Amino acid sequence: MSSSGEEEEVGPSVDSNDKEERIAARRLRINKRIEALKRDPNDPGDSKEIKEELSKSRKQIEESRLRLTKLRKDGFELVSNIRVAGDARESIRRGDEEESKRLRRERLEQEAKSGAERFEEITKKWESALQKEVPQSLHEMLMQQKTSCDSMIDEKNKLINDFQLDLKNKDDLYVKDLKKMAEDVDLMIERMNEQIKNLKKAQREELEQDERAFVAERNELLEQQKKKWDERMTYRRDKEIEYMKNREKRVEEYEQMLQHLRVQDAEEYNMVKIRLETDVQILEQQLQQMRATYQLNQEKLEYNFQVLKKRDEENAITKAQQKRKITRMQDVLNGLRIKLTKQEKQYRDENSQLTEDYKRIAEQFRDLQKKSKHFMATDAKKFADVWCMNEEECKEILNSILQCDTVVHEQQLGLQWESPDLGFVENVGPLRIHEETKSGVSATQVLHEVMSQAGSQAIEEVGEEGGNDDKQRTNIFTKISAHTVKSVLELLCDESGFLVEKKLEKLLQPLEKDEQSLMKLDAIFTALGVETEEDIHKLTTYFMHLIERMERAAEENKKDEGTEKDELEKTSTEGVEDVDAEIQELTGGGVDDEPPREKTTKDSVHLIHPNEVLKALRAFVDDHKKPTKEKGHKSQFRIATLEYRDPSEDSEYWAKYTNTHSGVKERVWDGLVEGLEKYSECLQSRSNLINETDALRQQNAELRMLLHQYVNSKVNTELEIPPTRVLQLEMNPQY
Amino acid sequence: MAEPPLTDLKDGNSDATETKTSKSPEISKTGSRNGSARSQKSHGSKKGRDFIPSPAVSAKDNPAADWRNMRRIIAEDPEWSLATVPLLVELCIKHIVDNFENNSKILNDLLQKHQNKVLEKISSDLPLKVTANLVDDEGFWKRCCNARWEICDVLDFGGNWKRMFFEKNLQEIIEHFVPETTDPIHLNETLALSANYVKRLEIRQLLPPVREAPKGPDFDDASDAGSDTGDEPECDHFNFTPVLSLLPNLEHLSLTYGVRDCGMNFEWQLFQFTARDCLQLAQSVAAHKHLQVFKLHRSKVDDDKVRVLISHILDHPGLIELDLSHNVIGDRGARAIGKFINNHSRLVRLNLCDNQIRGAGAQAIAHALTKNTTVEHLNLRLNRLGDDGGQAICRSMLKNSTLREINLGSNDMAEPTAAILSQVVMQNSTILSVDLSCNRLGPDGGKQLQEGMEENTTITTMDLRLTECGQESEYCINQILHRNQEAEREAKIKKIEAEAPPQKKIAEPQAAHRYKPRITHA
Repeated sequence: MSSSGEEEEVGPSVDSNDKEERIAARRLRINKRIEALKRDPNDPGDSKEIKEELSKSRKQIEESRLRLTKLRKDGFELVSNIRVAGDARESIRRGDEEESKRLRRERLEQEAKSGAERFEEITKKWESALQKEVPQSLHEMLMQQKTSCDSMIDEKNKLINDFQLDLKNKDDLYVKDLKKMAEDVDLMIERMNEQIKNLKKAQREELEQDERAFVAERNELLEQQKKKWDERMTYRRDKEIEYMKNREKRVEEYEQMLQHLRVQDAEEYNMVKIRLETDVQILEQQLQQMRATYQLNQEKLEYNFQVLKKRDEENAITKAQQKRKITRMQDVLNGLRIKLTKQEKQYRDENSQLTEDYKRIAEQFRDLQKKSKHFMATDAKKFADVWCMNEEECKEILNSILQCDTVVHEQQLGLQWESPDLGFVENVGPLRIHEETKSGVSATQVLHEVMSQAGSQAIEEVGEEGGNDDKQRTNIFTKISAHTVKSVLELLCDESGFLVEKKLEKLLQPLEKDEQSLMKLDAIFTALGVETEEDIHKLTTYFMHLIERMERAAEENKKDEGTEKDELEKTSTEGVEDVDAEIQELTGGGVDDEPPREKTTKDSVHLIHPNEVLKALRAFVDDHKKPTKEKGHKSQFRIATLEYRDPSEDSEYWAKYTNTHSGVKERVWDGLVEGLEKYSECLQSRSNLINETDALRQQNAELRMLLHQYVNSKVNTELEIPPTRVLQLEMNPQY
Repeated sequence: MAEPPLTDLKDGNSDATETKTSKSPEISKTGSRNGSARSQKSHGSKKGRDFIPSPAVSAKDNPAADWRNMRRIIAEDPEWSLATVPLLVELCIKHIVDNFENNSKILNDLLQKHQNKVLEKISSDLPLKVTANLVDDEGFWKRCCNARWEICDVLDFGGNWKRMFFEKNLQEIIEHFVPETTDPIHLNETLALSANYVKRLEIRQLLPPVREAPKGPDFDDASDAGSDTGDEPECDHFNFTPVLSLLPNLEHLSLTYGVRDCGMNFEWQLFQFTARDCLQLAQSVAAHKHLQVFKLHRSKVDDDKVRVLISHILDHPGLIELDLSHNVIGDRGARAIGKFINNHSRLVRLNLCDNQIRGAGAQAIAHALTKNTTVEHLNLRLNRLGDDGGQAICRSMLKNSTLREINLGSNDMAEPTAAILSQVVMQNSTILSVDLSCNRLGPDGGKQLQEGMEENTTITTMDLRLTECGQESEYCINQILHRNQEAEREAKIKKIEAEAPPQKKIAEPQAAHRYKPRITHA
């Protein structure tokens, strides 16, 4: 029974599973549909309403689902209740069974025990029965045994009967159980059928409800859409009607306008027509006239045509001639061209040759320069050597002279000798000429000073201090105040940028302003050929007012005349002083134009207008072109002569040697010489006499020797008269 | 209309040669008939009855008809049509159907449509020998099934009618097989033929050998064999060893050693599962490695037999479900089963419903459960576990994380079990269904369970009928269950939606299409 129950229990669950699946599928489908509706792009405005409706339908679905699940659960419970009841009954039965089994066992055991006891009793009695010998008692005993056995058997039988009764009961119970089982199965089947029916019905109902909900929802939606559609339609209709009305109105207006225009145009047309007709008449008259003139003209033109024809012929002839001429000229031109090319070639060759020559000559010149440099060096060396030699010689002579002089003074004359000034003697080698002392401070140095000073300190203070510190500086700042110079330079720097090379400008860009202007000025000065302080001065003067410049020009003339540096300085200082005085005058007189900038522009007031800078520069360059050129030449030459020597002091130097001997001394010496000469003559004659005596003495000796020789010779012996004797004879007479 | 006459003509000609080789005198007639036929045809067309095909063909098709009769018929019977005459194809098919038993091989040479026609017409009584391996058509097997059994639920057989036929056929044969009486030849033949198609064998009864049959059941099979073969005291049942060895595809085996519907003819002898039966069965099951489901109910399997069975199927590679419900297994048998599920099997379902397992056996099973990682469904309904066993099982569920369904109905459990179970319900999140019906948990146990359930979010089913645990807690638990069910349902729907997104895309335009015209219409 329970097994079949279990099998049955599985059935509906599978069914229900199936249904669940079906429901799930349907729900999915509905959801999809709803989503599709929601996503429908045609009616985004109604999404809210749809959402509300959605929730309604979904609620309905949810409700029906819940109801169905509940129904299903209840049904399942109802069906499985039978199984559970059966289980419960079975378990109770089992409990009872166990209990009864236990009871039965107990009873059996008891029975067995009691049976065994009795059996024991009986067997015991058998033993006592064996002892009995009286048959009656034995019989009695046996009878007793038999009864006891019977009672035991009865008891057993009773038990057996009981059990059989139980068994029968059990059989009955089995039958009952079978019946009950069949009933249960029937009940279960009935219930299942009922459940299936109910479920079917419920599901159908729910489905219907769902569908109804959906239909309602759809209908609502449709109604809404329809309403909207109608609204739109009416709106449109109104619009159209309005439009139509407007259009009619406009059409009428236009028609009126057209009519008006038409009338106007007709009037105009008539007027124009009349006018044009009169015009036509006039024009016809004119046409007639024109025709007449035309006729006349035609005749004239015909005549002209004839004439021109003639001319044309003539022209053709001349044309031919000209053509011929052209060809001829062409030939000439070609010839000339050829000649030209030839010439050009020739000249090119010549040119190349010349350039080569030039190169060669330049080379030669360079060689020559090198040579000359070498020679100059050697010459200088030689000169120095010669100089030194001469100097040495001179010094030696001088020394000897001086010694002699001392000797003469001290020994001959017995006078105190005083040495002359001998400072120049210390000089060794050729005289040095110090350039620095001669040439002025270089322009760049000045620049540096000016630019560096200008910023921080007051101009006059600087001037004073500078004057104390350095003579050079005073030079320039006394001539023209530093501030003036600075302003001039600044002006120059600003205005004459064209003189600076582009490259330099680029390079200068990262530098500071002062540096920049410094470098720029440097470049400008090199371009203008300004080298020395003097040049700067000159330049500065050009930047002063015109009148001043005139004055300056005169001074410059003087300057040019003056060869000596000192003179130049003097004049320039004078000029500067003048300028300063003037400046002071001007500033003192009050510059009405710029009273607030009085102090700062004190000096720069007199500078020319920036636009005239170019003019001033040009004037400067024009004026200084020549000198600069000369200077350039000189410098070139100087390069050639290596170093310039001034021979002016040489003679002086050498003269110093001679000057050591004054005229008095000479006269002394002359007198001394005379006396000494006389003394020497005296001595000479004495020496001559000594010499004569000496010679005579020698002659005597020689003669003596000869005589001795002759005397002592063998020949004498041989001779009849020996010379010796003779001699002796001769001698003897004398003595 | 233009095509059919041509083919007819062709068929007709071939037919004519076939049929009229014996009837030579009529050949001369056909020639003349052809001539007249043309005139007939023209005549017919003049009349405007162009529907009628050429009578010449019909004459040929029907050799018995007289020429003059034909003419008369054509002239006078407006209803006459050649369509009444069966086509040669149909005739052939009919012939094939008639002689299918003798020449069945021709079936495979036919065109598909003809094959279908033949299959529609052949008798469902044809011997299996002919049809088993030849016919795969479901329609035929459906006819066979319907002809043989009143109730046919093909869903139980995986929607396969052929399989259903073979399985039911084999089942019937085995169910009516009386050992040592019935001739096994028929069975063997059927087995050989149905070996490829049988996946499941559900034997609901096995007849014992007939010894005297004095009070035997009123089965015709059993009664007609009145021999005295049962000289053995043990009356063994049908031996499955040869059967299982012949069925390589068998996956599901369900047996009942007993007689069905014995009613008042009850006899103990009918329900005897002998030791030999058990041994044979165990061996054959152990040998069949593909078996997945093995059921043995209502067979009076006691402890010893269970031990024999388990010892054989220990470490069976394929067995997923074991059903030993409605037997008399005691604690020792339960211990054997515990050993079996303690990592000696891959069981997923274990059904021990309606046995006599008590506390000790339950403890053995519980011990196995703590170590097992495969069993998901456990049914211990209608046992005598008592509180000891119930507590043991519940404790094991604290450690186990695979069990999803457990049935502890009618197990004489009481409040202590409920206390532990509430703990289980709180901690275990894999269990989905608990059946506690017919246990006297009492109102206190009900309250404890309710407290436990309030922490739980997974359990969807909990049967508390006839547990006397109080209406209030039962109601609360039902509410929680309902909540859990809803959550689970939503999770399932989400899963389905996530798995099948392309369907939506297809459905959208349809819906739009359906709704658009209505809106515009309005």
